[in-house]
Amino acid sequence: MKTFLKILLASTLAISASAKEIKLLNVSYDPTRELYQDYNAAFAKYWKTKTGDDVVVNQSHGGSGKQAQSVINGLEADVVTLALAYDIDAISQQAKLLPADWQKRLPNNSTPYTSTIVFLVRKGNPKNIKDWDDVVKPGVSVVVPNPKTSGGARWAYLAAYAYALETYGHDDAKAKDFITKLYKNVPILDSGARGSTITFAQRGIGDVLLAWENEAHLALKEFGADNFEIVTPPLSILAEPPVAVVDKNAKRHGTTEVAAAYLYYLYSDEGQEIAAKNFYRPRNEAIAAKYAANFTQLKLVTVDQEFGGWAKAQQIHFADGGVFDRIFQPQN
Amino acid sequence: MKMKSKDMKLNRLIILAIAGLPYAFPLYADDGAATSSSEAAEIQALKQEIQALDQKVQALEQQHNAEQQAAANAPNEQVQALDQKVRVLERLRENDQDAAATVAKAQPKISLGASGFSFSSADSNFVATLHGLVQVDTRTFRHNDNVQGNDGILLRRARPIFSGTVYHDFDFQFTPEFGNGTPGAASAATAPSIYDAYVNYRYSPALQFQAGKFKPPVGLEYLQSDSYMFFNERSLATDLIPGRDLGFELHGDIDGGVVSYAAGVFNGVGDGQRNTSNTAFEDNREFDGRLFVQPFKTSKTVALQNLGIGVGGSWGNSSITNTLGLPNSTGGSSTSSGFYTDGQQQFFAYNPTTMASGTHWRLSPQGYYYYGPFGLLGEYVISDQGVKNSATLMTANLRNSAWEISGGWVLTGEDATFGGVTPRHPFDPRNGGWGALQVVGRFAELDVDKAAFPAFANLAFSASEAQAWSAGLNWYLNKNIRVNASFSRTTFTGGGGAGATAPAAVTQHPEDVFFTRVQLSF
Repeated sequence: MKTFLKILLASTLAISASAKEIKLLNVSYDPTRELYQDYNAAFAKYWKTKTGDDVVVNQSHGGSGKQAQSVINGLEADVVTLALAYDIDAISQQAKLLPADWQKRLPNNSTPYTSTIVFLVRKGNPKNIKDWDDVVKPGVSVVVPNPKTSGGARWAYLAAYAYALETYGHDDAKAKDFITKLYKNVPILDSGARGSTITFAQRGIGDVLLAWENEAHLALKEFGADNFEIVTPPLSILAEPPVAVVDKNAKRHGTTEVAAAYLYYLYSDEGQEIAAKNFYRPRNEAIAAKYAANFTQLKLVTVDQEFGGWAKAQQIHFADGGVFDRIFQPQN
Repeated sequence: MKMKSKDMKLNRLIILAIAGLPYAFPLYADDGAATSSSEAAEIQALKQEIQALDQKVQALEQQHNAEQQAAANAPNEQVQALDQKVRVLERLRENDQDAAATVAKAQPKISLGASGFSFSSADSNFVATLHGLVQVDTRTFRHNDNVQGNDGILLRRARPIFSGTVYHDFDFQFTPEFGNGTPGAASAATAPSIYDAYVNYRYSPALQFQAGKFKPPVGLEYLQSDSYMFFNERSLATDLIPGRDLGFELHGDIDGGVVSYAAGVFNGVGDGQRNTSNTAFEDNREFDGRLFVQPFKTSKTVALQNLGIGVGGSWGNSSITNTLGLPNSTGGSSTSSGFYTDGQQQFFAYNPTTMASGTHWRLSPQGYYYYGPFGLLGEYVISDQGVKNSATLMTANLRNSAWEISGGWVLTGEDATFGGVTPRHPFDPRNGGWGALQVVGRFAELDVDKAAFPAFANLAFSASEAQAWSAGLNWYLNKNIRVNASFSRTTFTGGGGAGATAPAAVTQHPEDVFFTRVQLSF
């Protein structure tokens, strides 16, 4: 009888210990759908091998600013993988869901991959757009999302602004004039990068899309390289999309360990390969070299260099009453 | 346009005429072998003039072509510009629709359905839900001559249940009872009373804290919702379980409910009793706890997923000593008033001089198993209570015990669960829907410690042992409406002495009672 009970207990524990299913919610920005579809499958396989547990990662995508606000309003993200650090700072400051120094917890300021802003133009480049000067010319129709809601749009705005600063000897008035001209050419502001891609590529609006590099490549893949081409300007901005565990949510869900592992695995060789294959610039130098052909070399300025960091850039340019509010007049 | 065309033709004629001069007068040229150098110069000048005119003609032609091209392109560019405008407007409309949909998502939600009426903020941080439970019963006793007037139609339960969530993590429930819900209900007070009133803080599913009035975590059958019980009334085993009480409880579900735990401190109530006054001014407290494991809940072995085993228990120190001037809420009939049959008739009562005195602990191993249409639930309870005869000052520890096992089979094939049965085809005879049918059976027994007699209870009136079996048929018309019919027979050892009131009158014959119920729950 004792033996029977021991066997029963052991088998009970063994079966209950196996086949555990863990659910994670990754709240991300607009164009990362494909990246994380690939990455989630790879991570689930890795975690299953390591622990025997099944991980199901649910994804939520939208404009980075909107996504951050959703998490602040109660969306139960275990991890956030957003377009820029300011949006995760907002979650930390307004909802206190993670500590203020969250960016120190992972290498490279918690940005496992980088990207930049490029031009997607129609095949043959009929408006002959090669540099930022060309997108502010009269008659050029520019598609870009709304910087109030989209992280990619803020990167694009700052890339253009940085170009103007570099070109006009850091004359802020001239830079403002430049950015004003640019947004005069914008007929429509979508709330996120994916929306703008649809506007440009599917709805046939505009002459040039200011796009994430990875999104531009995806557009070529999705909508045909015979319809569009990528133009990389000589100067753009180093976009650093960060990742973080939302501590309080993860703790409440009992997913802290797996959430941390999920983000850390982005730095692994496999994670970096997946990023590179999805046209995000990997941090790992060896893998970056392997995929060098995917990425045109250009001068990349940083937010810290040109704008004194995200907090300052946000306050001056994108906060209510900031530069963007003053220079943008909707055309319709 | 026509004028320009005429000009072009005239120009061409002049050019051709001038160009033809040398050919029209060849002799003159030949004769001019002796022409002077001035004539040669004149010819050269004429040639140059012709060349200049030719260039002019070409320029005019180019200009003309460009004008024609521009004229041709002008409408095309306008069309393109208009096309872009239309596309932009369409896209703006599309975006507006998306934005409207997003705004709609942010609006509060109202939900009406089989699970009740629910009002929720868009982010679900605030939720208010209204549920309800109405049970209309009949009880028909075979030995009606022993206890007069116990047959009848009664409103067993009539409860609006208000529950919800505030600030995402704080749940609440408020359940008043307007029916005849008190155990021993044949003669129970019918005044409305509060059954549940609590606030629950949910830090995580595994860590929650609850305060207020609610079911203490001891008995399995008692913790099952009233809507889902196999029979109209709970078994003899629940006679030894503490009923709703006021207290604080730490509880949670670990690993998706594989392990559930609860531990709390309560005022303490007697076996089968509940706190009816919403107060209990008494120095001693009772500690209740329960651990329940469903080891295969998340496994892929479907046949074992709904196997649960656990143990509940309590420990307290009941005393008749109270702070002067406060109501005496322990001792006497309040905490040791007696036990009831399936028909809710008292078959055992302590003597009026018997008081709770000293340690009172309970232990209840328990379990259930559900697989497909089959369901089985069992529970064993020991209740060990210190008592004192206030007249003789005699004391004793009385160890009463009870157990029950009940099972059911859904004849129509739906799954049986701890949370009830959901018919695959709700009752709709016009379209061939007849709901779900379930047969149920139960056996239960309660043994009173022999040491209770005669110092603390009278064997002439009270039974020392009761055994009950029950069989019934449950018809689930839909998720909300259920009709039951069942029969219970309870036999007694001891008791049965002369008398027209319970417990003597009840124990004179076995109790045979036929139940019916019409239940609405949502």
